[in-house]
Amino acid sequence: MATSQTTGNVTETAGTTATAFGISYAITSIFSALLVVLKEISPAVHDGLAAITGHHWVTHGLLNIIVFVVLGMMLSRSGRPQMSASSLVNTIVGSTIVSGLIIAGFFLIMG
Amino acid sequence: MSNEMILMLHPTFGVLAIIASVWVFAETLNVSGANVGRIRNAGMLAAILMWLAYIVGGYWYVNFYAADKALINAGPWPFSHGFFMETKEHVFLMLLLLTTFLAIAVRGEIAMAKPARNLVLWVSGLVVVMGLAMEGAGAFVSMGVKVALLAKQI
Repeated sequence: MATSQTTGNVTETAGTTATAFGISYAITSIFSALLVVLKEISPAVHDGLAAITGHHWVTHGLLNIIVFVVLGMMLSRSGRPQMSASSLVNTIVGSTIVSGLIIAGFFLIMG
Repeated sequence: MSNEMILMLHPTFGVLAIIASVWVFAETLNVSGANVGRIRNAGMLAAILMWLAYIVGGYWYVNFYAADKALINAGPWPFSHGFFMETKEHVFLMLLLLTTFLAIAVRGEIAMAKPARNLVLWVSGLVVVMGLAMEGAGAFVSMGVKVALLAKQI
């Protein structure tokens, strides 16, 4: 179970599990956005993803889920994800905005 | 069940997931020992509903969307596929993970610790905003099909 910790009067975390999976989400969202660009500009990557499950989008989704779960569990079990809750919020919101802009910007230009 | 009914389930589950996330947000603003269990259930419900939206929408997209895509691209609103659908189908993958993360975040000590509470507020708010954006993008896709069909009749 996630626990909140207070160290001194500055660093307050949202708990080990939430921090681990929050960092994992941020990394996965950026990974996903870059994979969108990569598969759209590289037919080889696009076809390779499609060959795995029959559709590039299905493989893309599965890769995202695997990266999110595995990375989150690894960080959680390592017990090391030290990040204040405010930094975690900034990381999650920031990665969402950046990933969204990468995807929307790419299709705005190329679509 | 007709293909169209399968398609309608996608935004229905999406809207219900948004409502569940609003529920999480509103209850977290007034969190106490009395409603923390309800917040956790609502967070889990939001994730389950978003996964259902993903599975149903994904099934339809993979098996039936090609015909609509061809119509849209031949019609007067090709950007409803080229921009809105392409962006929606990929941003949705992030929204799915974010809603899954919401179900994890609500398991923290939100009744006792402000940092855990703030995290839930931000994540549930982000799910609502992104969910509404997905619904709006879906409306553009539907309208892209409609104007393409209307153009064919003229």
